[in-house]
Amino acid sequence: MTAEEAQNLYRSFVDHDPASAIQVVERVRASGVTQDALFDTLYVPAMAFLGGAWAAGEIDEMAFTQAAVVAEQVGSFVMPSAARRDTGVTLVAGTMHRDHHAIGRTIVVATLKEAGYRVNDLGDDVRPSDFLERIEQTGARIVLVFAEMMATARAVVRVREMLLANGRDDVVVLVGGGPFVADAALARDVGANGVIGGAESALKLVARAARDLAASAEDGS
Amino acid sequence: MTAAASMTIATAEDLARRGVVGAAVAACHEALAIDDRDARVHALIAHLMLEGDFYDEAIAAATRAIETDPDCSPAYLALGLAYDRRGGMWDQSVLVWHELAEVEPDLVTAHVQLGEAFAAAAFEEEALESWQRALELDPTEARATYNLAIASLKREGMALALPLFRKAGELDPSQDELFFALAGAAEDVPPPADPAEVGPTREVRCAAALASLRAEDLFGAADFVRLVLDEDADDAEALALAAYAYLKQQAYNEAMACSLKALSVAPTLPTALYSLGVVYARRPGLDRHAARVFITLARQAGAHALVHVLLAESLLGLQRYEQAGKAYRSAVRLDPACVRARFGLAAAHLTAGRHAEAQWEISRAAYYDTKRQGLFWRLYDAYAAGGERP
Repeated sequence: MTAEEAQNLYRSFVDHDPASAIQVVERVRASGVTQDALFDTLYVPAMAFLGGAWAAGEIDEMAFTQAAVVAEQVGSFVMPSAARRDTGVTLVAGTMHRDHHAIGRTIVVATLKEAGYRVNDLGDDVRPSDFLERIEQTGARIVLVFAEMMATARAVVRVREMLLANGRDDVVVLVGGGPFVADAALARDVGANGVIGGAESALKLVARAARDLAASAEDGS
Repeated sequence: MTAAASMTIATAEDLARRGVVGAAVAACHEALAIDDRDARVHALIAHLMLEGDFYDEAIAAATRAIETDPDCSPAYLALGLAYDRRGGMWDQSVLVWHELAEVEPDLVTAHVQLGEAFAAAAFEEEALESWQRALELDPTEARATYNLAIASLKREGMALALPLFRKAGELDPSQDELFFALAGAAEDVPPPADPAEVGPTREVRCAAALASLRAEDLFGAADFVRLVLDEDADDAEALALAAYAYLKQQAYNEAMACSLKALSVAPTLPTALYSLGVVYARRPGLDRHAARVFITLARQAGAHALVHVLLAESLLGLQRYEQAGKAYRSAVRLDPACVRARFGLAAAHLTAGRHAEAQWEISRAAYYDTKRQGLFWRLYDAYAAGGERP
């Protein structure tokens, strides 16, 4: 059926009929083809038909160009979604008090946001009490604490202490920065649950932490 | 200057240009024995020392050249590169590039290098200003754009940096060369002077289309492609040539249509894969499709460094930074002078918090880029022509 609809879509391109092209797209979508699959199953074969028609001389240069314009108009209806879906997981991130190194945190935070996480970025020079306050405000259960100097890395323990003192032992603390990457024992000493080695590592660790938290919430209910 | 000194310098220059480093250095010292106040010779020694990775010696010789003549621009270039490659001398490096920008205000590379020195010294705003200045002088300066991409990555993350990486890539003429290499085009074939004289066979017409494309005669190429397709509408190679011609006109849907048709006939045709991958890479949301196409292309034409770069860039868009780093490393292995791969690898390092490695890749890119441009010799020749001491 989709092959037939691809032919219909191609005909709509050649007939310079965007309304009919969109109807084809909607029909195929209604038949159960997901947004992410529309491009490959419908648009790509229709475009191949179009290229073939031009090559065979069935349509001239002008018709080819006009058909391409209609294809452009329809493109946004079949493109896979560029933005990733909202995960619904809230995170708090920041660089420790007296530490102004921002690059690593910025890249990790941007990557997580792009992946659909709701990230509250507190910036750099963040006091432990500010982490706690934002966790309470947002209901976040994962906090990312960055430190690029030994002294500030050791001070991350104060974040964990403050969480415990306020009965928030359910919060996952992930740490990032050179001192933690160089010495995994340091992360354990400050009470961290994991070490972020970079942006991709952050994606993996946060996904795992979110999964574990969701599983423990289900067990508890 | 005596005739003997002139002749010795000429010998040293000739040896240096031919890369005969040891003999060139010996000839330079011979020239200095006659006249040790010739800035040109000291600059030449600095360049030769830099070529051999003797940074301290290069710094000493370049400094001597500048002391002898503060307008000796090739010496500033050698000194700045030596500071950058030695590492840990960013303050001196900033001063040197600033001086070179003063001595040669229209020298784009001086502003690019000054920006890199500022960035290494954590003066981000000043770095941005320098790269903007470079782009004012030459809007097609790829390295300034790569540096802006790295700066954007540091400030805003990959999603905003990636379009800049791609823009810089488009400024890089080597991407066009990749297509011609994939098509097996000979470099020295001119486009046909008279299309009517092109032979009637498919091979001759395809070759003429390719030569016309290389000469950027897109309409001429289209005429030859049409002749081939009129005889066989399923000729995948001709369709791929048409796709590239459309790509060059930024007619992306036409390029997509032609390359998809070509691939329906020949699913692994490298030229068609190239055009389709580039079209996909330029469309938001199609990074996964671009990666799939470039993976296939890498299997077909993995000996080309730029194929791995294109794959890596699509992987960056998918947040697969570690895999992107691997693809960039493959590119650097194949072509250590690939500036685009060096900057991409720097970006991949930054996503993993490896700042020192990122900085190293950027400095290697600077080294290869200035070498590719033959910048030292351009400055040297201009200085030698106009800088005759009284």
